[in-house]
Amino acid sequence: MEVKGQNLEIGYDGLIIIPEIDIEVRKGEITTIIGPNGSGKSTVLKALTRLLKYTKGVVFINGCDLKEMEPKKLARCIGVLPQMHCAPPDFKVKDLVAYGRVPYQKWYKGNTAEDEEIIEWALKTTGTWHMRNKSINACSGGETQRVWIATVLAQQPEILFLDEPTTYLDISHQQETMRVVKKLNRESGIGVVMVLHDLEQALEVSDRIIVIKEGHKYSEGTPEEVITPKMLHEVYNVEADVIKLPGRKKPLIVYKEI
Amino acid sequence: MKKEVSLLKVGGVSLVLIVCLVVLSLVTLSIGTAEYTIPQIVDALLNKDDGPIRVIVLNLRLPRLIMAIEVGACLAVAGALLQSVMRNPLADPGIIGVSAGAVTAATTVLLLFPTMISLVPLLSFVGAALACVLIYILAWRDGVDPVRIILSGVAINTVLGSYNSFLQMLNADNLANVLVFLNGSLSGCNWEQVYVLTFYAGLGLILGFCCIKNANILQLGDEMAKSLGINVNWVRVLLSGVAAFLAASTVSVAGMIGFIGLVVPHIARMMVGSDYKALLPVSTLLGAVLLLAADTLGRTLIPGMEIPVGIIMAATGGPFFLYMLRKKGKVSGS
Repeated sequence: MEVKGQNLEIGYDGLIIIPEIDIEVRKGEITTIIGPNGSGKSTVLKALTRLLKYTKGVVFINGCDLKEMEPKKLARCIGVLPQMHCAPPDFKVKDLVAYGRVPYQKWYKGNTAEDEEIIEWALKTTGTWHMRNKSINACSGGETQRVWIATVLAQQPEILFLDEPTTYLDISHQQETMRVVKKLNRESGIGVVMVLHDLEQALEVSDRIIVIKEGHKYSEGTPEEVITPKMLHEVYNVEADVIKLPGRKKPLIVYKEI
Repeated sequence: MKKEVSLLKVGGVSLVLIVCLVVLSLVTLSIGTAEYTIPQIVDALLNKDDGPIRVIVLNLRLPRLIMAIEVGACLAVAGALLQSVMRNPLADPGIIGVSAGAVTAATTVLLLFPTMISLVPLLSFVGAALACVLIYILAWRDGVDPVRIILSGVAINTVLGSYNSFLQMLNADNLANVLVFLNGSLSGCNWEQVYVLTFYAGLGLILGFCCIKNANILQLGDEMAKSLGINVNWVRVLLSGVAAFLAASTVSVAGMIGFIGLVVPHIARMMVGSDYKALLPVSTLLGAVLLLAADTLGRTLIPGMEIPVGIIMAATGGPFFLYMLRKKGKVSGS
Protein backbone atom coordinates (compact mmCIF):
# COMPACT_ATOMS: atom_id res chain seq x y z
CA MET A 1 0.00 0.00 0.00
CA GLU A 2 1.11 3.53 -0.67
CA VAL A 3 -0.15 7.07 -0.19
CA LYS A 4 0.75 9.31 -3.10
CA GLY A 5 0.16 13.04 -3.33
CA GLN A 6 0.54 14.68 -6.75
CA ASN A 7 0.83 18.41 -7.50
CA LEU A 8 -0.64 19.26 -4.12
CA GLU A 9 -1.39 22.85 -3.26
CA ILE A 10 -2.27 23.13 0.42
CA GLY A 11 -3.43 26.06 2.50
CA TYR A 12 -6.23 27.42 4.61
CA ASP A 13 -8.02 30.72 5.15
CA GLY A 14 -6.81 31.93 1.76
CA LEU A 15 -3.17 31.41 2.72
CA ILE A 16 -1.13 29.02 0.59
CA ILE A 17 1.38 27.12 2.69
CA ILE A 18 2.49 24.51 0.20
CA PRO A 19 2.37 25.82 -3.39
CA GLU A 20 3.18 22.53 -5.06
CA ILE A 21 4.53 19.23 -3.83
CA ASP A 22 4.73 15.60 -4.93
CA ILE A 23 5.08 13.15 -2.12
CA GLU A 24 4.84 9.41 -1.71
CA VAL A 25 4.93 7.22 1.40
CA ARG A 26 4.78 3.46 1.53
CA LYS A 27 3.89 0.58 3.77
CA GLY A 28 6.79 -1.27 5.34
CA GLU A 29 9.16 1.67 5.79
CA ILE A 30 9.65 4.54 8.19
CA THR A 31 9.46 7.87 6.42
CA THR A 32 10.28 11.04 8.31
CA ILE A 33 9.38 14.54 7.22
CA ILE A 34 11.72 17.18 8.58
CA GLY A 35 12.09 20.90 8.12
CA PRO A 36 12.38 24.12 10.09
CA ASN A 37 9.45 25.67 12.00
CA GLY A 38 6.79 26.91 9.63
CA SER A 39 8.15 25.01 6.63
CA GLY A 40 4.84 23.20 6.18
CA LYS A 41 5.81 19.69 7.24
CA SER A 42 2.80 19.12 9.48
CA THR A 43 0.60 20.66 6.81
CA VAL A 44 1.74 18.01 4.33
CA LEU A 45 1.01 15.24 6.82
CA LYS A 46 -2.46 16.65 7.45
CA ALA A 47 -3.25 16.90 3.74
CA LEU A 48 -2.20 13.28 3.14
CA THR A 49 -4.56 12.15 5.91
CA ARG A 50 -7.50 14.43 5.03
CA LEU A 51 -7.28 16.42 8.26
CA LEU A 52 -6.73 19.41 6.01
CA LYS A 53 -8.23 19.98 2.56
CA TYR A 54 -5.83 20.50 -0.30
CA THR A 55 -6.80 23.11 -2.82
CA LYS A 56 -5.18 21.56 -5.91
CA GLY A 57 -3.80 18.20 -6.92
CA VAL A 58 -4.81 14.74 -5.87
CA VAL A 59 -3.94 12.17 -3.21
CA PHE A 60 -4.20 8.49 -4.04
CA ILE A 61 -4.40 5.80 -1.38
CA ASN A 62 -3.75 2.48 -3.08
CA GLY A 63 -5.01 4.05 -6.31
CA CYS A 64 -8.24 5.40 -4.71
CA ASP A 65 -8.85 9.14 -4.64
CA LEU A 66 -8.60 10.33 -1.03
CA LYS A 67 -11.49 12.77 -1.48
CA GLU A 68 -13.85 9.99 -2.56
CA MET A 69 -13.05 7.60 0.26
CA GLU A 70 -15.64 6.80 2.88
CA PRO A 71 -14.35 8.12 6.27
CA LYS A 72 -14.46 4.82 8.14
CA LYS A 73 -12.84 2.95 5.25
CA LEU A 74 -10.05 5.51 5.27
CA ALA A 75 -9.68 5.09 9.04
CA ARG A 76 -9.13 1.37 8.49
CA CYS A 77 -6.30 2.00 6.00
CA ILE A 78 -4.42 4.75 7.76
CA GLY A 79 -4.14 5.78 11.39
CA VAL A 80 -3.28 9.33 12.35
CA LEU A 81 -2.05 10.60 15.68
CA PRO A 82 -2.47 14.37 15.53
CA GLN A 83 -0.18 16.65 17.48
CA MET A 84 -3.12 18.00 19.45
CA HIS A 85 -5.18 15.37 21.16
CA CYS A 86 -6.85 15.24 24.49
CA ALA A 87 -8.71 12.73 26.55
CA PRO A 88 -10.76 13.33 29.66
CA PRO A 89 -8.23 12.65 32.43
CA ASP A 90 -10.41 10.07 34.14
CA PHE A 91 -10.69 7.84 31.04
CA LYS A 92 -9.07 4.45 31.53
CA VAL A 93 -6.20 3.49 29.27
CA LYS A 94 -8.05 0.46 27.97
CA ASP A 95 -11.22 2.46 27.27
CA LEU A 96 -9.26 5.04 25.34
CA VAL A 97 -7.51 2.42 23.22
CA ALA A 98 -10.92 0.85 22.54
CA TYR A 99 -11.87 3.98 20.57
CA GLY A 100 -9.41 2.81 17.93
CA ARG A 101 -12.02 0.19 17.04
CA VAL A 102 -14.63 2.82 16.14
CA PRO A 103 -13.93 2.58 12.37
CA TYR A 104 -14.99 -1.06 12.51
CA GLN A 105 -18.12 -0.58 14.60
CA LYS A 106 -21.66 0.60 14.04
CA TRP A 107 -22.66 3.45 16.36
CA TYR A 108 -24.83 1.20 18.55
CA LYS A 109 -22.37 -1.68 18.85
CA GLY A 110 -19.92 -2.36 21.65
CA ASN A 111 -16.70 -4.34 21.52
CA THR A 112 -16.79 -7.84 20.10
CA ALA A 113 -14.41 -10.59 21.19
CA GLU A 114 -12.31 -9.79 18.12
CA ASP A 115 -12.16 -6.12 19.09
CA GLU A 116 -11.01 -7.11 22.58
CA GLU A 117 -8.26 -9.27 21.09
CA ILE A 118 -6.99 -6.43 18.90
CA ILE A 119 -7.12 -3.96 21.80
CA GLU A 120 -5.04 -6.40 23.84
CA TRP A 121 -2.57 -6.74 20.97
CA ALA A 122 -2.29 -2.94 20.60
CA LEU A 123 -1.70 -2.53 24.34
CA LYS A 124 0.90 -5.29 24.44
CA THR A 125 2.75 -4.08 21.34
CA THR A 126 3.16 -0.61 22.80
CA GLY A 127 4.10 -1.92 26.24
CA THR A 128 1.03 -0.44 27.93
CA TRP A 129 -0.81 -3.68 28.79
CA HIS A 130 0.22 -3.55 32.44
CA MET A 131 -1.40 -0.14 32.91
CA ARG A 132 -4.64 -0.87 31.06
CA ASN A 133 -6.76 -0.13 34.13
CA LYS A 134 -4.98 3.08 35.08
CA SER A 135 -6.66 6.37 34.27
CA ILE A 136 -4.97 8.72 31.80
CA ASN A 137 -4.08 11.31 34.43
CA ALA A 138 -2.08 8.68 36.31
CA CYS A 139 0.19 8.08 33.27
CA SER A 140 3.42 9.95 32.59
CA GLY A 141 3.89 11.94 29.38
CA GLY A 142 5.72 9.12 27.66
CA GLU A 143 3.20 6.53 28.78
CA THR A 144 0.35 8.72 27.54
CA GLN A 145 2.01 8.99 24.15
CA ARG A 146 2.36 5.20 23.94
CA VAL A 147 -1.30 4.83 24.93
CA TRP A 148 -2.27 7.14 22.08
CA ILE A 149 -0.12 5.16 19.68
CA ALA A 150 -1.92 2.03 20.90
CA THR A 151 -5.25 3.73 20.17
CA VAL A 152 -4.25 4.47 16.59
CA LEU A 153 -2.78 0.99 16.30
CA ALA A 154 -6.12 -0.55 17.28
CA GLN A 155 -7.39 0.83 13.99
CA GLN A 156 -5.15 -1.82 12.38
CA PRO A 157 -3.84 0.68 9.86
CA GLU A 158 -1.36 -0.22 7.14
CA ILE A 159 0.33 3.14 7.49
CA LEU A 160 0.60 5.09 10.73
CA PHE A 161 0.98 8.88 10.61
CA LEU A 162 2.49 10.53 13.69
CA ASP A 163 2.67 14.31 13.96
CA GLU A 164 5.64 15.23 16.17
CA PRO A 165 5.24 12.24 18.48
CA THR A 166 8.22 13.17 20.64
CA THR A 167 7.71 16.90 21.13
CA TYR A 168 7.26 17.84 24.79
CA LEU A 169 8.78 14.54 25.99
CA ASP A 170 12.07 14.22 27.85
CA ILE A 171 14.89 12.27 26.22
CA SER A 172 14.11 8.96 27.89
CA HIS A 173 10.45 9.11 26.86
CA GLN A 174 11.48 10.24 23.38
CA GLN A 175 13.68 7.18 22.98
CA GLU A 176 11.01 4.93 24.42
CA THR A 177 8.49 6.25 21.88
CA MET A 178 10.95 5.84 19.00
CA ARG A 179 11.72 2.29 20.13
CA VAL A 180 8.03 1.41 20.03
CA VAL A 181 7.68 2.95 16.57
CA LYS A 182 10.68 1.10 15.21
CA LYS A 183 9.58 -2.19 16.74
CA LEU A 184 6.13 -1.80 15.21
CA ASN A 185 7.59 -1.23 11.81
CA ARG A 186 10.09 -4.09 11.97
CA GLU A 187 7.78 -6.68 13.54
CA SER A 188 4.42 -5.88 11.99
CA GLY A 189 5.53 -4.28 8.73
CA ILE A 190 3.37 -1.21 9.41
CA GLY A 191 4.41 1.85 7.48
CA VAL A 192 5.23 4.83 9.65
CA VAL A 193 5.22 8.46 8.54
CA MET A 194 6.41 10.96 11.12
CA VAL A 195 7.02 14.63 11.40
CA LEU A 196 10.04 15.10 13.63
CA HIS A 197 11.93 18.09 14.92
CA ASP A 198 14.88 16.17 16.20
CA LEU A 199 17.35 15.45 13.38
CA GLU A 200 19.30 12.83 15.38
CA GLN A 201 16.11 10.87 15.89
CA ALA A 202 15.26 11.16 12.21
CA LEU A 203 18.75 9.85 11.36
CA GLU A 204 18.43 7.03 13.84
CA VAL A 205 15.04 5.52 12.95
CA SER A 206 14.17 6.53 9.40
CA ASP A 207 14.46 4.47 6.24
CA ARG A 208 13.74 7.55 4.20
CA ILE A 209 13.75 11.25 4.99
CA ILE A 210 11.91 14.04 3.16
CA VAL A 211 13.17 17.58 3.77
CA ILE A 212 10.70 20.45 3.39
CA LYS A 213 11.90 24.01 3.08
CA GLU A 214 9.51 26.95 2.76
CA GLY A 215 6.71 24.81 1.37
CA HIS A 216 8.86 22.98 -1.18
CA LYS A 217 10.49 19.59 -1.12
CA TYR A 218 14.20 20.30 -0.74
CA SER A 219 15.50 16.73 -0.89
CA GLU A 220 14.54 13.13 -0.30
CA GLY A 221 16.45 9.90 0.32
CA THR A 222 18.12 7.70 2.91
CA PRO A 223 19.26 9.44 6.10
CA GLU A 224 22.89 9.34 4.94
CA GLU A 225 21.99 10.92 1.60
CA VAL A 226 19.84 13.65 3.08
CA ILE A 227 21.49 14.72 6.33
CA THR A 228 24.56 16.55 5.02
CA PRO A 229 26.41 19.70 6.09
CA LYS A 230 25.13 21.36 2.93
CA MET A 231 21.47 20.59 3.75
CA LEU A 232 21.91 21.74 7.35
CA HIS A 233 23.35 24.99 6.11
CA GLU A 234 20.81 25.65 3.36
CA VAL A 235 17.66 24.51 5.15
CA TYR A 236 18.32 25.18 8.80
CA ASN A 237 21.03 27.81 8.45
CA VAL A 238 23.33 26.02 10.90
CA GLU A 239 26.93 24.92 10.48
CA ALA A 240 27.61 21.30 11.29
CA ASP A 241 29.64 18.25 10.38
CA VAL A 242 28.20 14.81 9.88
CA ILE A 243 30.69 12.28 11.19
CA LYS A 244 31.01 8.52 11.37
CA LEU A 245 31.99 6.87 14.64
CA PRO A 246 33.45 3.39 14.66
CA GLY A 247 30.95 0.91 16.11
CA ARG A 248 27.88 3.02 15.26
CA LYS A 249 25.78 2.24 12.22
CA LYS A 250 24.31 5.71 11.82
CA PRO A 251 26.36 8.91 11.50
CA LEU A 252 26.26 11.73 14.05
CA ILE A 253 25.62 15.42 13.61
CA VAL A 254 28.20 17.63 15.28
CA TYR A 255 27.11 21.26 15.42
CA LYS A 256 29.59 24.11 15.36
CA GLU A 257 30.18 25.56 18.80
CA ILE A 258 28.02 28.57 19.59
CA MET B 1 -11.51 -5.96 38.27
CA LYS B 2 -11.36 -2.18 38.07
CA LYS B 3 -14.00 -2.07 35.39
CA GLU B 4 -16.43 -3.92 37.62
CA VAL B 5 -15.71 -1.48 40.42
CA SER B 6 -16.62 1.50 38.25
CA LEU B 7 -19.74 -0.30 37.02
CA LEU B 8 -20.67 -0.88 40.64
CA LYS B 9 -20.13 2.79 41.38
CA VAL B 10 -22.39 3.92 38.55
CA GLY B 11 -25.00 1.38 39.58
CA GLY B 12 -24.77 2.50 43.20
CA VAL B 13 -25.06 6.19 42.36
CA SER B 14 -28.02 5.48 40.07
CA LEU B 15 -29.73 3.40 42.73
CA VAL B 16 -29.30 6.13 45.36
CA LEU B 17 -30.73 8.68 42.93
CA ILE B 18 -33.70 6.48 42.11
CA VAL B 19 -34.44 6.02 45.82
CA CYS B 20 -34.12 9.79 46.30
CA LEU B 21 -36.53 10.34 43.43
CA VAL B 22 -39.14 7.96 44.83
CA VAL B 23 -38.93 9.37 48.37
CA LEU B 24 -38.99 12.93 47.07
CA SER B 25 -41.99 12.13 44.87
CA LEU B 26 -43.97 10.82 47.83
CA VAL B 27 -43.00 13.85 49.91
CA THR B 28 -43.95 16.18 47.06
CA LEU B 29 -47.35 14.56 46.71
CA SER B 30 -48.01 14.84 50.43
CA ILE B 31 -47.02 18.41 51.22
CA GLY B 32 -48.59 21.66 50.09
CA THR B 33 -51.54 23.81 51.07
CA ALA B 34 -53.28 20.65 52.21
CA GLU B 35 -51.02 18.16 53.96
CA TYR B 36 -51.52 14.42 53.70
CA THR B 37 -49.73 11.43 55.14
CA ILE B 38 -47.91 9.02 52.89
CA PRO B 39 -50.43 6.17 53.48
CA GLN B 40 -53.19 8.59 52.45
CA ILE B 41 -51.30 9.33 49.22
CA VAL B 42 -50.73 5.69 48.44
CA ASP B 43 -54.42 5.01 49.11
CA ALA B 44 -55.43 7.88 46.87
CA LEU B 45 -53.21 6.66 44.07
CA LEU B 46 -54.42 3.09 44.28
CA ASN B 47 -57.98 3.64 45.40
CA LYS B 48 -60.67 4.16 42.84
CA ASP B 49 -63.13 6.38 44.77
CA ASP B 50 -63.17 10.12 44.05
CA GLY B 51 -62.37 11.72 47.40
CA PRO B 52 -60.90 15.24 47.65
CA ILE B 53 -57.47 13.83 48.36
CA ARG B 54 -57.54 11.88 45.15
CA VAL B 55 -58.62 14.95 43.17
CA ILE B 56 -55.83 17.12 44.55
CA VAL B 57 -53.16 14.47 44.29
CA LEU B 58 -54.13 13.17 40.89
CA ASN B 59 -55.14 16.37 39.12
CA LEU B 60 -52.88 18.95 40.70
CA ARG B 61 -49.79 17.43 42.25
CA LEU B 62 -49.13 14.37 40.11
CA PRO B 63 -48.99 16.17 36.72
CA ARG B 64 -46.71 18.77 38.23
CA LEU B 65 -44.48 16.08 39.69
CA ILE B 66 -44.14 14.27 36.38
CA MET B 67 -43.51 17.55 34.62
CA ALA B 68 -40.72 18.50 37.04
CA ILE B 69 -39.04 15.12 36.59
CA GLU B 70 -39.20 15.29 32.80
CA VAL B 71 -38.09 18.90 32.54
CA GLY B 72 -35.14 18.28 34.87
CA ALA B 73 -34.05 15.17 32.98
CA CYS B 74 -34.32 16.87 29.57
CA LEU B 75 -32.40 19.98 30.56
CA ALA B 76 -29.64 17.96 32.20
CA VAL B 77 -29.18 15.73 29.17
CA ALA B 78 -29.27 18.74 26.83
CA GLY B 79 -26.53 20.40 28.88
CA ALA B 80 -24.40 17.26 29.00
CA LEU B 81 -24.59 16.84 25.21
CA LEU B 82 -23.74 20.48 24.56
CA GLN B 83 -20.71 20.33 26.85
CA SER B 84 -19.37 17.59 24.62
CA VAL B 85 -20.29 19.44 21.41
CA MET B 86 -18.54 22.64 22.53
CA ARG B 87 -15.82 20.85 24.47
CA ASN B 88 -16.46 23.61 26.95
CA PRO B 89 -17.55 23.16 30.55
CA LEU B 90 -19.61 26.36 30.43
CA ALA B 91 -21.91 25.24 27.64
CA ASP B 92 -25.60 24.99 28.43
CA PRO B 93 -28.80 25.18 26.37
CA GLY B 94 -28.72 28.98 26.62
CA ILE B 95 -25.58 29.20 24.51
CA ILE B 96 -27.23 27.83 21.37
CA GLY B 97 -30.02 30.36 21.59
CA VAL B 98 -32.77 28.04 22.79
CA SER B 99 -33.74 30.27 25.71
CA ALA B 100 -33.42 33.57 23.86
CA GLY B 101 -35.42 32.27 20.90
CA ALA B 102 -38.17 30.92 23.10
CA VAL B 103 -38.35 34.12 25.16
CA THR B 104 -38.50 36.23 22.01
CA ALA B 105 -41.43 34.24 20.67
CA ALA B 106 -43.21 34.14 24.03
CA THR B 107 -42.71 37.84 24.76
CA THR B 108 -43.90 38.80 21.29
CA VAL B 109 -47.06 36.74 21.62
CA LEU B 110 -47.82 37.71 25.22
CA LEU B 111 -47.28 41.43 24.72
CA LEU B 112 -48.27 42.09 21.11
CA PHE B 113 -50.80 39.34 20.39
CA PRO B 114 -52.24 38.51 23.83
CA THR B 115 -55.26 36.79 22.28
CA MET B 116 -52.98 34.04 20.98
CA ILE B 117 -51.81 33.06 24.45
CA SER B 118 -52.74 29.41 23.87
CA LEU B 119 -50.12 29.25 21.11
CA VAL B 120 -47.25 30.25 23.42
CA PRO B 121 -45.92 26.70 23.95
CA LEU B 122 -45.90 25.92 20.23
CA LEU B 123 -44.48 29.27 19.15
CA SER B 124 -41.79 29.33 21.84
CA PHE B 125 -40.71 25.88 20.65
CA VAL B 126 -40.52 27.22 17.10
CA GLY B 127 -38.68 30.35 18.30
CA ALA B 128 -36.14 28.24 20.15
CA ALA B 129 -35.55 26.07 17.10
CA LEU B 130 -35.23 29.06 14.76
CA ALA B 131 -32.72 30.85 16.98
CA CYS B 132 -30.64 27.69 17.21
CA VAL B 133 -30.67 27.15 13.43
CA LEU B 134 -29.75 30.81 12.90
CA ILE B 135 -26.77 30.53 15.24
CA TYR B 136 -25.49 27.43 13.44
CA ILE B 137 -25.93 29.00 10.00
CA LEU B 138 -23.98 32.07 11.12
CA ALA B 139 -21.28 29.91 12.70
CA TRP B 140 -20.91 27.68 9.64
CA ARG B 141 -17.82 28.24 7.56
CA ASP B 142 -16.48 25.07 6.05
CA GLY B 143 -17.87 23.26 9.07
CA VAL B 144 -18.89 24.24 12.58
CA ASP B 145 -16.26 25.19 15.09
CA PRO B 146 -17.20 25.38 18.80
CA VAL B 147 -15.65 28.80 19.28
CA ARG B 148 -17.63 30.21 16.35
CA ILE B 149 -20.84 28.64 17.68
CA ILE B 150 -20.27 30.20 21.09
CA LEU B 151 -19.44 33.61 19.61
CA SER B 152 -22.36 33.69 17.23
CA GLY B 153 -24.52 32.41 20.11
CA VAL B 154 -23.44 35.34 22.27
CA ALA B 155 -24.18 37.76 19.42
CA ILE B 156 -27.66 36.37 18.69
CA ASN B 157 -28.48 36.18 22.40
CA THR B 158 -27.55 39.84 22.78
CA VAL B 159 -29.62 41.00 19.81
CA LEU B 160 -32.68 39.00 20.86
CA GLY B 161 -32.17 40.17 24.45
CA SER B 162 -32.26 43.81 23.39
CA TYR B 163 -35.46 43.21 21.40
CA ASN B 164 -37.05 41.54 24.43
CA SER B 165 -35.98 44.30 26.81
CA PHE B 166 -37.35 46.95 24.47
CA LEU B 167 -40.67 45.13 24.16
CA GLN B 168 -40.88 44.76 27.93
CA MET B 169 -40.06 48.41 28.46
CA LEU B 170 -42.90 49.45 26.18
CA ASN B 171 -45.30 47.21 28.09
CA ALA B 172 -43.99 47.72 31.60
CA ASP B 173 -47.43 47.52 33.22
CA ASN B 174 -48.41 44.25 31.60
CA LEU B 175 -45.54 41.91 32.40
CA ALA B 176 -47.09 39.33 34.72
CA ASN B 177 -47.28 36.53 32.14
CA VAL B 178 -43.89 37.36 30.70
CA LEU B 179 -42.28 37.22 34.13
CA VAL B 180 -43.76 33.80 34.77
CA PHE B 181 -42.24 32.60 31.50
CA LEU B 182 -38.88 34.26 32.15
CA ASN B 183 -38.52 32.74 35.60
CA GLY B 184 -39.64 29.30 34.62
CA SER B 185 -42.62 27.92 36.41
CA LEU B 186 -44.41 24.61 36.65
CA SER B 187 -47.54 26.00 38.25
CA GLY B 188 -50.89 25.24 36.70
CA CYS B 189 -49.80 22.37 34.54
CA ASN B 190 -52.37 19.81 33.51
CA TRP B 191 -52.44 16.29 32.20
CA GLU B 192 -52.67 17.41 28.59
CA GLN B 193 -49.33 19.21 28.89
CA VAL B 194 -47.89 16.17 30.61
CA TYR B 195 -48.87 13.92 27.70
CA VAL B 196 -47.33 16.29 25.17
CA LEU B 197 -44.11 16.75 27.12
CA THR B 198 -43.83 13.03 27.83
CA PHE B 199 -43.94 12.35 24.10
CA TYR B 200 -41.28 14.95 23.29
CA ALA B 201 -39.11 14.18 26.31
CA GLY B 202 -39.28 10.45 25.61
CA LEU B 203 -38.27 10.93 22.00
CA GLY B 204 -35.53 13.42 22.90
CA LEU B 205 -34.09 11.26 25.67
CA ILE B 206 -33.98 8.18 23.43
CA LEU B 207 -32.19 10.22 20.77
CA GLY B 208 -29.89 11.61 23.47
CA PHE B 209 -28.91 8.15 24.63
CA CYS B 210 -28.17 7.17 21.04
CA CYS B 211 -25.53 9.93 21.00
CA ILE B 212 -23.44 8.50 23.84
CA LYS B 213 -20.68 7.03 21.69
CA ASN B 214 -20.34 10.14 19.52
CA ALA B 215 -20.36 12.42 22.56
CA ASN B 216 -17.47 10.41 23.96
CA ILE B 217 -15.49 10.53 20.72
CA LEU B 218 -15.85 14.31 20.47
CA GLN B 219 -14.03 14.52 23.81
CA LEU B 220 -10.89 13.15 22.13
CA GLY B 221 -10.46 16.29 20.04
CA ASP B 222 -11.57 17.11 16.49
CA GLU B 223 -8.57 15.76 14.63
CA MET B 224 -8.57 12.49 16.53
CA ALA B 225 -12.31 12.08 15.97
CA LYS B 226 -11.83 12.78 12.27
CA SER B 227 -9.03 10.28 11.98
CA LEU B 228 -11.28 7.66 13.58
CA GLY B 229 -13.59 8.10 10.60
CA ILE B 230 -16.14 10.34 12.34
CA ASN B 231 -17.74 13.18 10.43
CA VAL B 232 -17.17 15.76 13.14
CA ASN B 233 -19.35 18.51 11.67
CA TRP B 234 -22.26 16.20 11.19
CA VAL B 235 -21.95 14.79 14.70
CA ARG B 236 -21.81 18.31 16.17
CA VAL B 237 -24.96 19.35 14.33
CA LEU B 238 -26.71 16.11 15.27
CA LEU B 239 -25.88 16.35 18.97
CA SER B 240 -26.76 20.05 19.08
CA GLY B 241 -30.04 19.28 17.33
CA VAL B 242 -30.97 16.68 19.93
CA ALA B 243 -29.97 19.04 22.76
CA ALA B 244 -31.94 21.91 21.25
CA PHE B 245 -34.97 19.64 20.82
CA LEU B 246 -34.81 18.57 24.47
CA ALA B 247 -34.36 22.10 25.79
CA ALA B 248 -36.97 23.62 23.50
CA SER B 249 -39.53 21.01 24.58
CA THR B 250 -39.12 22.02 28.22
CA VAL B 251 -39.02 25.75 27.54
CA SER B 252 -42.32 25.59 25.71
CA VAL B 253 -44.16 24.19 28.75
CA ALA B 254 -42.15 25.45 31.71
CA GLY B 255 -40.53 28.64 30.50
CA MET B 256 -36.89 29.39 31.13
CA ILE B 257 -35.23 27.34 33.83
CA GLY B 258 -31.58 28.19 33.84
CA PHE B 259 -28.54 26.67 35.46
CA ILE B 260 -29.76 23.07 35.68
CA GLY B 261 -28.36 22.23 32.24
CA LEU B 262 -25.02 23.64 33.30
CA VAL B 263 -24.70 22.37 36.83
CA VAL B 264 -26.14 18.86 36.67
CA PRO B 265 -23.64 17.40 34.16
CA HIS B 266 -20.82 18.84 36.27
CA ILE B 267 -22.05 17.26 39.48
CA ALA B 268 -22.64 14.00 37.61
CA ARG B 269 -19.08 14.19 36.24
CA MET B 270 -17.70 14.63 39.73
CA MET B 271 -19.65 11.58 40.85
CA VAL B 272 -19.06 9.09 38.02
CA GLY B 273 -16.45 10.59 35.66
CA SER B 274 -16.64 11.86 32.09
CA ASP B 275 -17.58 8.72 30.20
CA TYR B 276 -21.00 9.49 28.74
CA LYS B 277 -22.04 5.87 29.20
CA ALA B 278 -22.20 6.70 32.93
CA LEU B 279 -22.54 10.48 32.74
CA LEU B 280 -25.72 10.60 30.70
CA PRO B 281 -27.87 8.23 32.77
CA VAL B 282 -26.67 9.78 36.02
CA SER B 283 -27.32 13.31 34.66
CA THR B 284 -30.84 12.26 33.67
CA LEU B 285 -31.66 11.04 37.18
CA LEU B 286 -29.88 13.87 38.94
CA GLY B 287 -31.61 16.49 36.79
CA ALA B 288 -34.97 14.97 37.66
CA VAL B 289 -34.18 14.85 41.39
CA LEU B 290 -32.82 18.40 41.56
CA LEU B 291 -35.62 20.04 39.62
CA LEU B 292 -38.28 18.18 41.58
CA ALA B 293 -36.61 19.24 44.83
CA ALA B 294 -36.37 22.85 43.66
CA ASP B 295 -40.00 22.95 42.56
CA THR B 296 -41.24 21.40 45.79
CA LEU B 297 -39.18 23.86 47.76
CA GLY B 298 -40.53 26.79 45.75
CA ARG B 299 -44.08 25.55 46.23
CA THR B 300 -43.87 25.10 49.98
CA LEU B 301 -41.19 27.46 51.30
CA ILE B 302 -43.52 30.41 51.85
CA PRO B 303 -47.08 29.25 52.57
CA GLY B 304 -49.57 30.84 50.24
CA MET B 305 -46.94 32.07 47.81
CA GLU B 306 -45.20 30.27 45.03
CA ILE B 307 -41.58 30.97 44.12
CA PRO B 308 -40.90 30.04 40.47
CA VAL B 309 -38.70 26.98 40.15
CA GLY B 310 -36.23 28.88 37.94
CA ILE B 311 -35.48 31.27 40.80
CA ILE B 312 -35.07 28.46 43.35
CA MET B 313 -32.81 26.57 40.95
CA ALA B 314 -30.54 29.53 40.39
CA ALA B 315 -30.46 30.57 44.03
CA THR B 316 -29.64 27.12 45.44
CA GLY B 317 -27.78 25.61 42.48
CA GLY B 318 -25.07 28.26 42.42
CA PRO B 319 -23.86 27.90 46.01
CA PHE B 320 -24.19 24.11 45.84
CA PHE B 321 -22.07 24.07 42.71
CA LEU B 322 -19.42 26.19 44.40
CA TYR B 323 -19.43 23.80 47.33
CA MET B 324 -18.85 20.81 45.04
CA LEU B 325 -16.11 22.76 43.28
CA ARG B 326 -14.22 23.48 46.49
CA LYS B 327 -14.72 20.01 47.84
CA LYS B 328 -13.40 18.20 44.78
CA GLY B 329 -10.98 20.92 43.81
CA LYS B 330 -11.37 20.31 40.09
CA VAL B 331 -13.89 20.39 37.30
CA SER B 332 -13.03 18.02 34.52
CA GLY B 333 -14.97 19.63 31.75
CA SER B 334 -12.50 18.76 28.99
